[in-house]
Amino acid sequence: MLPAGCGGRLAAALQAALRGGAERRRELERSAERGRDVLWGERRGDERPKAEVGPGGGRESTPSSRELEELELLNAALEKALRVRESVSGAPAAARGAPGAKPAGGAADGGDTGELELPAATRDGPAAACPTCEVRAGSRQPTAAKKPPPYRLRAPYRTDPDVRRTQRKAPAGRVSRAPGAAGKSSSKAVAPKQGGRRGPAVPAAAKPQRTAGFPRSAPSEQHGLPAGDGSSVAVCGQQLSAGKRCCAPLRLPGGAEEHTAGARSASPRAAALQEQGCQLELPLPYRKAHTRNSRAWEKCRLCHTSADAAAARTRFTERIQSSFCSPTPTLSPAEIEKELKALQDVPSRLSLYVEAESADHPTLQREYESLLTLEGLQSTVSQCLHKLQLLRAAVESQRKLHPGCTGDQRDCCAACAAGAWVCGSAGTLAVPLLCYSRLQELRDLFALKLQVSMLHQQIALQKVSL
Amino acid sequence: MPRCRALPAAVGALCRALPPRARLAPDVLRRARFDRPQATLDFWRLLYALLKQIHGGEWTESDAIDTQIRFVKSALWYHGYGRPELYQLPSDGSAGSRELLLAFSWLLHRVNLLEWLLARNRVKTGDETSVCTCEDDLSHSQKDTTEMAPGLEDRVDVRYLQWLNGKLRFQWRSLHAQHQEQCKLLHKIHLFTSGSHTDQALGHFSVTETDLIRHPENYNQLLQHLELETMQLEAFLEWKQLEAVYWQWMETVLDNMAEEGSLRTVRDAPVETSRLQEGATCCPWAESMTVQIDRLSGEMTALHSQLQELVARRRSAWCQKVKTREEELQKEDFSTKLGKIEESVELKLLDLTNHGAPNKNKMHGSCRLVFRSKRSASKTGFGGSASKEPVPAVSATEVIRELRMREASLQRELKQLQDECKQRLDGIAERLDGVICISP
Repeated sequence: MLPAGCGGRLAAALQAALRGGAERRRELERSAERGRDVLWGERRGDERPKAEVGPGGGRESTPSSRELEELELLNAALEKALRVRESVSGAPAAARGAPGAKPAGGAADGGDTGELELPAATRDGPAAACPTCEVRAGSRQPTAAKKPPPYRLRAPYRTDPDVRRTQRKAPAGRVSRAPGAAGKSSSKAVAPKQGGRRGPAVPAAAKPQRTAGFPRSAPSEQHGLPAGDGSSVAVCGQQLSAGKRCCAPLRLPGGAEEHTAGARSASPRAAALQEQGCQLELPLPYRKAHTRNSRAWEKCRLCHTSADAAAARTRFTERIQSSFCSPTPTLSPAEIEKELKALQDVPSRLSLYVEAESADHPTLQREYESLLTLEGLQSTVSQCLHKLQLLRAAVESQRKLHPGCTGDQRDCCAACAAGAWVCGSAGTLAVPLLCYSRLQELRDLFALKLQVSMLHQQIALQKVSL
Repeated sequence: MPRCRALPAAVGALCRALPPRARLAPDVLRRARFDRPQATLDFWRLLYALLKQIHGGEWTESDAIDTQIRFVKSALWYHGYGRPELYQLPSDGSAGSRELLLAFSWLLHRVNLLEWLLARNRVKTGDETSVCTCEDDLSHSQKDTTEMAPGLEDRVDVRYLQWLNGKLRFQWRSLHAQHQEQCKLLHKIHLFTSGSHTDQALGHFSVTETDLIRHPENYNQLLQHLELETMQLEAFLEWKQLEAVYWQWMETVLDNMAEEGSLRTVRDAPVETSRLQEGATCCPWAESMTVQIDRLSGEMTALHSQLQELVARRRSAWCQKVKTREEELQKEDFSTKLGKIEESVELKLLDLTNHGAPNKNKMHGSCRLVFRSKRSASKTGFGGSASKEPVPAVSATEVIRELRMREASLQRELKQLQDECKQRLDGIAERLDGVICISP
């Protein structure tokens, strides 16, 4: 049914779109790789657990006996460590991350280890009942003593031979803190591996950091586990769901804890980032350069054109403009584009308002109000139509003046990438920041941007097939 | 005269405030003032480099001079420069440096060239993302003609197309998944490094900065760029102090030209028609503009007629209602109530139309992602305590809102196109006898 030429064009368009998409994917993968490297450390190449493993990443449903053995070893190590900790009861500021799991375990997601001082009981709902959550030295002792079980790693925890291999290679010394971790290691091992899981969202990551009162704000922000991506929100506590994550256990500052045999310093970097993230410091030269740079930007942002200069500028410009071609069009092509861009969204915006007013209204007053609003909208639309007419005339007059227009796109700056101009013409000297306060916002943002791109593409393709 | 001493400083600052790839020696400006032909080529090249940067195109120093000249002329037209003398300059770059100086100064003022370039070329050390969809808009509007892939037969199997389409859809889904993963990564990094950045406004590190800590040796270039940029900014500040001198100097240039008689004013000679190109009927820019205008007009006209009908209906209904209850309404002092309603509606409409012109303040370009949890925002105050004015920042919620509106309008457009296509197909289907068409 498609005209022959159209089919070919459509195929070409689709192929071009695919190429563009592949390019985007590659770029995205590159930046994701950087991010992963930063987060999970020195693993490069094949050593690194592939975080793009597909959703669910083929995890096995039951651990092998070997794994169970290791699990036992780990648990033993954890218990020992716990005993050690109790004996070192005054150990300062251990707690990072959430207080231990409630004995009744239960709850929720693995990982909101942000709260420090909240006793388990007052933990709010979704707080993690992480069996291996860190325990705040002081107040937790009693509770900790009561619950070795929570620190037990649950059976269906996933290990991976690759990961194990890597862990062995990772020198213990890499982790600056001893805690590296009994137990943490295995769960950590789990984490990166499960990077690709599209599990339920990571509330852990999303939870705002409660820094209340904690001396070191940063540690409090570490999450139990890189509850890695997505995974299991959950249930560390009692549930035996596959893919459950355990919170970062026992991360004690400075070697209050012993490393036991089974300790593997898995993902030392991730641990390092989590623990030390708040204490990391940029290297001095960069820091200096950065502060100088931001100070310069700030000064530039705040500097104003002096009155003399402004006056001189306008004088010069007016004089020179008076020597322009006689019937000077009122709008330059750049301005025309800008106006047009401003009008792009107007029809849809106004339609929304019209729809809103189209409902029936109970009272006479509401009806009058809606009537007036509609009339107002009508006049706005007329104004826009009038403006469009003016723009059309302006385009026509500018077209006549277009110097040396050979119809060649490359030569005509207006045709090629003029959009970049319109986009950037805000040109403020503020360092633009985009602030988000929750992970969900970030995700929505990216999802919407992608959606808009996709729609653009679909529209373009639809036009080809017309 | 103080001006004489300040001028070289001003010109020097100006030249140093230009981006590194598009610089000029102060000497060239001085020579251009006297219309020396040697300065012409350099000036053309400067303008070419600057305008290419503004317009986001790719360029190299080795582009042919006449290409460069044509581009510059077209770009100056685009920004509304109307001096015919410039457009009449020869395309081998042999003369006209003074005209170019004038054009350069005009551009400097007109588009706030320095600020624009500084903002555009900002060294990015953070996790950046764009807050506008201009890029997509651009590629969208440019994509009118796709060339046929060579070697593609005339008859393309529709199943091939369907397969391609499916692949495309899958690609979008994977992109989505990748983006979501990226979000999580970024968020984690931001979270983990919160509180470490010396810059209060930022509060945490970006991926680049975290990587920088581990591998400072990889980032020497970044450091260099930062330092160069700082020098450029400082030159800009110096320029801002001295710019009055420069503009006064430019006025003397105009004065000289007027004396020589080469500064035509509107009242003088009749309009030059040399810019009217013979047969310049196809201007791609004009065409794309017209297409957009047509589309918008169509939508607006449809909306207008819809509104007209609606309003007419409502008004007559309302008048009816009022008539039947006239007496009782008069008792209730209806007219004052109506007056109040009118005022409130006026305000509401003002609000609506202002909302409809957000582009003035809308942020464009790429921004650095900064995580500010609600808690810390309330603690430290937005932007930190040190700055006099709060550091302007866009919140993700605003951008999301804008994007949703954009999405809605694009959906509408797509639906319209699809309906059109469907109608076409229906028309074709009807003409086919004995065939039943089942639409997907």
